[in-house]
Amino acid sequence: MNDAVVPTQAAELTLSSLYRDHRSWLENWLRRRLGNAWDAADLSQDTFLRVLASAQPIAQMQEPRAYLVTVGKRLLVNFHQRRSLEQAYLNALATLPEACVPSPEQRWLLLETLQALDELLDGLPVLVRRAFLWSQLEGLGYREIAERLEVSERTVKRYMAQAYEHCLLVDL
Amino acid sequence: MSRDVARAAAQWLALLESGAATERDHAALQRWRDSHPQHEQTWQKAQTLRQRFNGLPQALAMASLDRPQPGRRAVLKRALGVAALVPTAWLISRQLPLETWRADLHTATGERKHLSLADGANLQLNTATAVDMDLAQRQITLVDGELALDVPGPSAITVNTRYGQLRVGQAQVCVRQLAAGCRVSVLKGAVQVRDLNGQLATLQGGQQAPLQATGLGAWVPFDVLQLGWRDGVLTAQNQALGDFLRELERYRPGVLRWDPSLEALRVTGSFRLEDTDRILNLLASTLGLEVHARTRYWVTLTPGRRLS
Repeated sequence: MNDAVVPTQAAELTLSSLYRDHRSWLENWLRRRLGNAWDAADLSQDTFLRVLASAQPIAQMQEPRAYLVTVGKRLLVNFHQRRSLEQAYLNALATLPEACVPSPEQRWLLLETLQALDELLDGLPVLVRRAFLWSQLEGLGYREIAERLEVSERTVKRYMAQAYEHCLLVDL
Repeated sequence: MSRDVARAAAQWLALLESGAATERDHAALQRWRDSHPQHEQTWQKAQTLRQRFNGLPQALAMASLDRPQPGRRAVLKRALGVAALVPTAWLISRQLPLETWRADLHTATGERKHLSLADGANLQLNTATAVDMDLAQRQITLVDGELALDVPGPSAITVNTRYGQLRVGQAQVCVRQLAAGCRVSVLKGAVQVRDLNGQLATLQGGQQAPLQATGLGAWVPFDVLQLGWRDGVLTAQNQALGDFLRELERYRPGVLRWDPSLEALRVTGSFRLEDTDRILNLLASTLGLEVHARTRYWVTLTPGRRLS
């Protein structure tokens, strides 16, 4: 089971007042940066969920808007990363031969899987990430990866360990 | 999970995959896994992690996950910029070089943009639209999607489409790119149309006509409610649900499916485009349908249980 955060009565009241007083302000703030209301509403919803799940007690929040913006900024960055993934994905789809193009349903499911993996790998240095992907997706051995990256096999092994550690820690 | 356990598990994995692990290494790994429940748990998790990468189509996954990364700081800068400056992802192609006097504008699926141009002209872009602008030459090129242009002054703006040109001065017009041609709707004033063969014709306010490779078709009167997107509204008057949903689909990324039995149900109403999920829910509650959202990108409508 998921240990979801169960708000106490008092926290719930504060969350709802936070939501009531600042939601439309936050949505506006996000909309100006996103250019559309649909994504802005989604992200503002996510922002409040993050706040709810975070360790910071809402009751002691000094500057609620500054805090919401901090959380919102992080989500915006994630949003743009999802967009850039989407773009790379669509570009790749467009170059596939007709026979290899997955059905529309598969296409979107696959995109969501890739987004989750992209988030998982976020923050890894480029070469570490690439070495890890070559190993996991293409099944390349360390020697081949070392040759492609022009580093030693020892380094590849270190990269792999770093990537695994990162993923295990993120994916708690 | 402690950092140390994760690190140890990661070292083991990296060793195993190197192909250089010896018999003794395997035995040592087994001892490590047995020595603490948390070790074994972490090991199992690592196996699950590896499975997540299995079975993905290689070329697609690699191209997406190993795309050139702009770096976190650049992403942040872009994320916090004003939205109109952010090129959006949905239109894949046609990235013409940006020069100072030339701006390419895109909207993503579900997005709309409004621009005020010099001398009081207004340009609106509907969902999934791309235009090239050359304001020095007073030219706008519709690459894809739909635009609305209002030019109150006498100095005309030329709208280029794949099927011909429109001259818009003291007039208001909507142009929508369709599969085989454009649909031109004149809201106010008169618009001069020049087709690919150089034939000239004029459309008056209230007239709508297809502009195709063969030229400008016969005009018909149109209902201005069709163009409600300019105010962020989608309006239906006793419209077949299927037609309505095909229109709504333009504003939603992903797949929208519906049971064929719903095709002919009738819809009447005005809906705010900014929240298409809400529109679906409204339709569902008024028509007694069920909305199944497999993922945000894949929504299916079926008859409600009461009807089936």
